[in-house]
Amino acid sequence: MLTPEKIQNVLKKDCINLRFHARGGQGGVTASNLCVEAFLGYGICQPRFGAERMGSPTESYVRLSLDKDLIRTNEQVYNPQFVAILDETVMWEVCVTEGLPKGGWLIINTDMGQEEIQELINRKDLNIATLPATRIAMDVLGRNITNTIILGALIRISHLFTLEQLNEAIRKRFKGTIVDKNIEAIKEGYEATCVYDVGVDVDFDAEAKLPWTQVDPFLPGYKDLDKAGVWYTDVNVIRYGSHQVKTGSWGEYDIIWDKEKCTDCAQCWYICPDFAIKREKGDDGLWHMVGVDQFHCKSCLNCVNICPVDALSKNMKQKPGSCALYL
Amino acid sequence: MSIEPMRIFFKEIKEPIQTALIGNYAVAGGVTQTDPDVICAFPITPQTQSVEGLSDVVHQGRLKAAFINVESELAAMTYSTAACAAGARAFTATASQGYLLMAEALPMAVGWRQPLTMMISARAFNAPNLSIWNSWEFVLTDFGWNCIVSENVQETYDAAILSVMIAEDSLFPTMFVHDGFIISHSVQQLWLIPDEVVRNLTPKKPRHTIDPKHPGTWGGIVTPSYFMEGRMKLDVDKKPVLSQMAAAFERFEKATGRKYDLIETYNLDNSSRTAIITMGSVCGNIISWMKKNKDIGLIKVRAYRPFPYEQLQKIIQEYNIEKLIILEKSDSLNNLLPPFSTSVATACYPLGTLFRSFIVGLGGRDVTTDEFDVAKKKMESVTDMKGQLYMYLGVRETKDKIYGVDM
Repeated sequence: MLTPEKIQNVLKKDCINLRFHARGGQGGVTASNLCVEAFLGYGICQPRFGAERMGSPTESYVRLSLDKDLIRTNEQVYNPQFVAILDETVMWEVCVTEGLPKGGWLIINTDMGQEEIQELINRKDLNIATLPATRIAMDVLGRNITNTIILGALIRISHLFTLEQLNEAIRKRFKGTIVDKNIEAIKEGYEATCVYDVGVDVDFDAEAKLPWTQVDPFLPGYKDLDKAGVWYTDVNVIRYGSHQVKTGSWGEYDIIWDKEKCTDCAQCWYICPDFAIKREKGDDGLWHMVGVDQFHCKSCLNCVNICPVDALSKNMKQKPGSCALYL
Repeated sequence: MSIEPMRIFFKEIKEPIQTALIGNYAVAGGVTQTDPDVICAFPITPQTQSVEGLSDVVHQGRLKAAFINVESELAAMTYSTAACAAGARAFTATASQGYLLMAEALPMAVGWRQPLTMMISARAFNAPNLSIWNSWEFVLTDFGWNCIVSENVQETYDAAILSVMIAEDSLFPTMFVHDGFIISHSVQQLWLIPDEVVRNLTPKKPRHTIDPKHPGTWGGIVTPSYFMEGRMKLDVDKKPVLSQMAAAFERFEKATGRKYDLIETYNLDNSSRTAIITMGSVCGNIISWMKKNKDIGLIKVRAYRPFPYEQLQKIIQEYNIEKLIILEKSDSLNNLLPPFSTSVATACYPLGTLFRSFIVGLGGRDVTTDEFDVAKKKMESVTDMKGQLYMYLGVRETKDKIYGVDM
């Protein structure tokens, strides 16, 4: 387990790296900005550079140190000691443990237990902290914005900065009622964090970056190119349409349909922006509702709100945390 | 709605404050403080937030400037040049293809001696593939603009103010460059300068402008009997610009305490008599890498145009540098060397310094310690100036081989 003294010693001669995994719009970049603002020392934060859009997996990086020269580098972070995951569903889409050394920390917004996570990431040498941040966010903030809450868990295990320093950064950055709400949510996140320590401490001196990872070895080289910059459309290469994308993983709720109450008025079908209300033509020659397409439903809740007979209801996907700590 | 990070610039900044901003918003803030009259730009990734931030301070009433939306970069440049000629302090910003689209109008700002300032968020141009990431496109053209290159967010914020000083002292348009995404989209800590100090550094001085009371023709056609005299006059007027730049850096240091130089050097007094010469964000990577590699130095070029040949020669002689590793984020399919390397090579020519140019980081490829290690190793065996003088570094040759590197 890390102590405040140990972290300060490391920061004096080394650089501590963090990586945030989120989805576009969840505030992963804001979380990393807040780290730099809350940290007493030198810090730099970068997003993973690219054309991100709402809902797609994003990454952002933070580098913290007390030595100014060490954080002067503009390299991307390849060897984080802490990885925070704002949305557990990205774990099925990207390798969240990449570059994370033995004893590194994974902080996950999830209701999964230690064994389930270890099986999913296929590693047992990592320390894990979990918290039901989505539930806290919906409870306290009324929106699924988990970026500040996950920092509560980060403080709990890393001691990079204190709750007071983070609150100060929040006050500087935000204005109005969301300040107090965020501060309350962070405290709740801090208290509701489950810590699964495997008893291994991360070696901050170790250089975990494999050589030339930035060059993406194993992709085609310049000699493999037929003509630079030209691709031919090939059904074997471009086989997926956008309907193959599981946008259903972005939502916080399952939509429950009650067949008994449904009157087939089809208002939900008209309002759904993603054609996620399934209808079929029955033997009577008319179209009937048959359910909700959870693969594509982003749980915007338009259907629940418009249903005149309460045949549609919501159910939060994330279960409550199992080890809340009361201070 | 306002842009959250720009809020800090809505009020008068009374004393130096530390904050954290991305490069583009930092530039927007710096430009706000220099009080421009006309802002005219066309959005292009990764430059967008700089103009977006400025539109916000104009919208909030903090900055009394004309914010003009135009249909293209070419229009932005012609509009800005004309506004500047009419006496306004003007700012524009662009990148990549936008810069190339401006090309037609770029020489005119120089010819008319307009103190226009422009930010460039360096980005690759689109060949053979479209790329929105960082390369050095700005080295490709040289129409006589002054050019300063920044390593980090602090430097690019300061450059926004410095370039106004340099442009108005020299009466040549001045561009300041930071690496797209790497600086433009990274949040870094920086110190902001009080508004009062910026006002003192950038006073609005009287200069020759278009005036209906004294009509004249600007840029009218001339026969071969006149053209060359005009060009030579520009060349002669360009000569004092470097010393004007150095003087601006000095005045800036007195006011803010931050010291800049045309060329900055690190650890040149090293055992191997070797130095890396480059500019921009990659200098930061090298400085961090040098913590564990003390036998190599770094020459960081801050003023890229006009190129400080004499200063570079003096540094090479003073420290007795025998070998130079040139790192460049640009290539040349036709020339012996890419553009930045060509400038360095010209300076080295009378001194006989050995050098090799390494082309790195094109299209946003990260430049890491791997590249520096290999470049350093390759340089150790260089003893002459024969053969190809440049090589690409950090490129896949085939699926399991990296070009020029033994794995």
